[in-house]
Amino acid sequence: MPEKEVIIIGGGAAGLAAAVACQQKGIEDILIIERGDYLGGILQQCIHDGFGLEKFNTSLTGPEYAQRYIDKIISKKIPFLLDSMVVGLTPQKEVVVVNSNGLQHYRAKVIILAMGCRERTRGAINIPGARPSGIYTAGVAQELINLKNYMVGEKIVVLGSGDIGLIMARRLTLEGAEVIMVAEKLPYSSGLPRNINQCLCDFDIPLLLSYTVVDIQGNGRLSGVTIAQLGKRGGIIPGSKRKITCDTLLLSVGLIPENELSREADIILDNLTGGPQVDERGQTSVSGIFTCGNVLQVHDIVDNVSLEAEYIVEGVVEYLEGKLNKEREIKVELEKGLRYVVPQTLIRVKDTIFSFRVNQPGEKKVLVFEDGKKVIKRKFLRRVNPAEMIRVKLSSSELEGIKTLKVKLV
Amino acid sequence: MMEREFVCIICPNGCRVKVEYEGINIKNIKGDECPKGKDYVKNEITNPLRVFTGSVLIENGNFSLVSVKTSVPIPKKYLKKIGEITRYLKVKAPIKIGQVVASNLLNEDIDLVATRKIEKKKSLSS
Repeated sequence: MPEKEVIIIGGGAAGLAAAVACQQKGIEDILIIERGDYLGGILQQCIHDGFGLEKFNTSLTGPEYAQRYIDKIISKKIPFLLDSMVVGLTPQKEVVVVNSNGLQHYRAKVIILAMGCRERTRGAINIPGARPSGIYTAGVAQELINLKNYMVGEKIVVLGSGDIGLIMARRLTLEGAEVIMVAEKLPYSSGLPRNINQCLCDFDIPLLLSYTVVDIQGNGRLSGVTIAQLGKRGGIIPGSKRKITCDTLLLSVGLIPENELSREADIILDNLTGGPQVDERGQTSVSGIFTCGNVLQVHDIVDNVSLEAEYIVEGVVEYLEGKLNKEREIKVELEKGLRYVVPQTLIRVKDTIFSFRVNQPGEKKVLVFEDGKKVIKRKFLRRVNPAEMIRVKLSSSELEGIKTLKVKLV
Repeated sequence: MMEREFVCIICPNGCRVKVEYEGINIKNIKGDECPKGKDYVKNEITNPLRVFTGSVLIENGNFSLVSVKTSVPIPKKYLKKIGEITRYLKVKAPIKIGQVVASNLLNEDIDLVATRKIEKKKSLSS
């Protein structure tokens, strides 16, 4: 069985950044395994711009952002497999790959999980009604239009205000379709404010908050949907149902970290993030298996994916040098206002970046880190929004000597 | 005097910028966290600019489309017109990132540049 120092599962934004970071840290024996037929993952279909502002200080499109990493992979001769699907992963860090050469087995000292996430579908949100063609998740529509030259429809309703849905509302408009509306069941958008502005407002596409699709019509092809307004508790307001004639329904209703392989390797997952539980350097509950990017937690900005990948590689290097010893085990506890935290546990005294998402939008909030009654750090936040991940760094001196760690938003 | 709140689109911070202005004269800007926000709002009041991004058909390439963008931000009012043009454009592989694939569109000096590397059909590996 061929042995590698580091095997990276997934050649998207996280996997590429992790590979480049490993190489820069002197790790030579790396293998990236990618199931698609190109590197870059989802970035290649995100042809809009606005990527790279933090990482490269300039606004790039998705393919340009990916190419910066691909160029490094090529020039440093970091090995990668395309069209290769990992179908098995064990806690002993054995990897089973299938591709046109058949089944192959590898073993690695370190595995980095970088499989990304996938979209929630109609089935996940249980929309009743007919089952015609013309229903797509926003990301699939994006792939069809931007990579495969296949237009998905002419009169479009978008359900869900996630960023891909907003981006696709603009993209479809520029391709000549009519986007009738974006309906969002929550009273606030789940996309970034700037995307509401440049994707919807710029093209006068209405955003209907507290609205959802309650029925789908069509025999063969979609012919319409019924929308309804939702009350404060989420129930349908009587008399608010309205039929909308359209031929296409796009769903942008959330992303799920893709963790089938993690489960197979007995990695403990966090119900709140949908990704593995990790320590401060992205190590999962299985020693030597690390993770970063959307498979760990769904990000809103790719720059943060790259930064997270570089950050966890510091842990990978220490692990390979045998220096990643467990000094303590502190579980990060959440109190009111916060939906999740990454990392979930701290095992050493190190500078640590914490990522959070809040439960609902708010203004003038303070993020408070406490050890029992003692406040370790307070961070003022002018605005909070569930669509925007909060990242806060605590220094090793702030984390030294703590017995517990509780975080709350007040 | 007009007062309006803008959401800056330059970076993911999405700063809210409050502006008081008369016609195209800005009297007061509040809430911008960087100079880019100030420039953005000035443009929004006088001549809103956006980068157009889209895709163009390729002949004989290893993918069927190449993604493109305008070389600089263009007036917002041209976005849909450029979209109509890109729907009928066709270019030949190979294509490099940054290569101009169409120039002087709408006679407004608008150039489209490729944002993805495309090779000829036969060589499938990159």
